[in-house]
Amino acid sequence: MTDNGKNNLSPEEISRYARHLTLSEVGVSGQVKLKQARVLLIGAGGLGSPVGLYLAAAGVGHLGIVDFDDVDASNLQRQIAHRTEDVGRPKVESMRDTLKGINPLIEVHTHPLRLDTSNALELFSKYDIIVDGSDNFATRYLVCDAAFFARKPLVYGSIFRFEGQISVFDSVAGGPCYRCLYQSPPPASLVPS
Amino acid sequence: MATETIKLILGIGETLTGRLLLFNSLNMHFKEVRIRPYSKCALCGDSPTIHELIDYEAFCNVALPAGGNAAGQEEKSFEVTGSELKQILDADRPFTLLDVREPHEWEINRIEPARLTPLSKFESYISELDPDDEIYLYCYKGKRSMTALKKLQDRGFKNLRSLAGGIDRWALDVDPSMPRY
Repeated sequence: MTDNGKNNLSPEEISRYARHLTLSEVGVSGQVKLKQARVLLIGAGGLGSPVGLYLAAAGVGHLGIVDFDDVDASNLQRQIAHRTEDVGRPKVESMRDTLKGINPLIEVHTHPLRLDTSNALELFSKYDIIVDGSDNFATRYLVCDAAFFARKPLVYGSIFRFEGQISVFDSVAGGPCYRCLYQSPPPASLVPS
Repeated sequence: MATETIKLILGIGETLTGRLLLFNSLNMHFKEVRIRPYSKCALCGDSPTIHELIDYEAFCNVALPAGGNAAGQEEKSFEVTGSELKQILDADRPFTLLDVREPHEWEINRIEPARLTPLSKFESYISELDPDDEIYLYCYKGKRSMTALKKLQDRGFKNLRSLAGGIDRWALDVDPSMPRY
């Protein structure tokens, strides 16, 4: 084996992903694509947690997590990648441990930083797909623009109270971007704190 | 979001590219809106004006009402800090303390001897207040109480202060035994 297993599945992976392998839309070749994929999660919070858990379980081989915050007790009710004993720990570390616990066969890369104009493009360039689970408009516009310039598809989701919205912004595939949908941020007076 | 990501990786199915899915979990209504590339989009339109990353904090503050910053300075002069309010509560002189949060928040915590006057029905309480009273207002973070304070100012009330940072900062700075939410 000259490719270090990157282009095929180990017996352990075959048994773990058996229910994927029997789906004709996935199969061994699809599972290898998942294994080779690099996905960056913006935020280890209410949206990033479940997305991260599912992608880790599904066998996405390289998961990056960006978050600068520590786990707070008030996060636990919805941010299910963190546990009670994680309160006070950096969210990226807490979530990494949870994801590795679910699937030790994947790599988790932690980025304990505040995403900004100085680091976004370089960080995005290392991944194939960006998943925005951020909680504020400044970050959403930054993620939109950086994903556009880095030519990466962006999976967008946001929630407020009982309502949510989700889309995929993929300019390379000819789709609209977040700015096509929302040309300008809402007035600060209307932004929930 | 996870299945969309997996579909993008595998190149299968139909992703939400060009569609916005909206849902309301309270009544379990789902709605799908078709979105197209906007020809005048500042980023990906025909004549883009954004060619590199910009100052996003500034961009998101642009929408502040005109003179927003000046107004912010004026608002500061009507604020009272937690420790100042504590001194007033402990002193033996009359004052009125209003909690302008909603009842479900009042159930979680409150600063005694406050009276609950939710901002959503604030107008109906104004007639019960005395314009000559020394009135202190608070909410969760200090934003709604400032809105209520302005309503009172418009009605001729003079002696008004809003608790800076709201009950949340009070719980941190003044009363650590208070539950936070």
